[in-house]
Amino acid sequence: MAAQVGPRLTRRALLAVALLGPPLAACAPAGPTQAQAPDPLIALADAARADAALAAAVIAATPDLAVRVAPLRDARTEHAAALDSEVARQARRSATPAPPRAATGAATLDALRRSVAAAGESARQAALDSDARRVGLVASVAACCTTYAAQLG
Amino acid sequence: MTQTPTSTIDGRTTQALQATLGAEHAALWCYSLAVAFLVEPQQSQARRDADVHRELRGRIEQSLTQLGQRPVSAQPAYATPQPVTDPASAARLAVVAETDCQTSWRALLEQTTDRGLREAGLKALTDATGRGARWRAVVGATPVVPVFPGRP
Repeated sequence: MAAQVGPRLTRRALLAVALLGPPLAACAPAGPTQAQAPDPLIALADAARADAALAAAVIAATPDLAVRVAPLRDARTEHAAALDSEVARQARRSATPAPPRAATGAATLDALRRSVAAAGESARQAALDSDARRVGLVASVAACCTTYAAQLG
Repeated sequence: MTQTPTSTIDGRTTQALQATLGAEHAALWCYSLAVAFLVEPQQSQARRDADVHRELRGRIEQSLTQLGQRPVSAQPAYATPQPVTDPASAARLAVVAETDCQTSWRALLEQTTDRGLREAGLKALTDATGRGARWRAVVGATPVVPVFPGRP
């Protein structure tokens, strides 16, 4: 991920601002044509639940890691709840939180780091295309996950 | 299409970009004050973090200029929430600076659909979260990584 969004890309991205074309509103991806596509935040919420379960399994396997991993477990639990609420708001129905899952695969710190890094990148990608109302939430999830991944590295 | 390139970015976006520039100005001022009170290794960390903010500030100013906007200037001084008198209060000021930057970058993301700005804003928000987490660890704030960085 670091290689993908290094300072060079950011500089280009910012400098490209003035070079871009006309307003994108007319071709924004959130139009009715995509109404049938599943809400991308559902996958982000599922990933958050999976991370929370994996973090809990890591703590169960290695209690000494609780101090480092419990805040991540709690953060990912909060992410799942917030993302569920946003999915429900958009679908105009009440949130029906999915049941927590059992972790699959090896409950190691390295597996957790890889999982949360992937979640951060997924959220970053989703934030690029999110509408104004939800981009803040998705961006915060991305920033939190990426920072945890760096801390566990 | 015959619209000028600057039409991609509307007034709300440039306003938000000016706000992030204001936050970056403030962060630089905060670090210049904090460095005077911090001790190693935090002092070197503060200098490195200030360097990043300085570069970011330059890029925002350049972008605003390209958009035909006059970048806002730094204030001569800023009010700190608490007096800075020692290493601990200096580190707390760094936390405040990074938190304010996170808020302004997230706000910018909410004011633009421009892909380049979204990319840059996401990177800036994430980097500020990482720096902020280091300072939060120094001052003993929990959780070290905020659950929703930049949420006002």
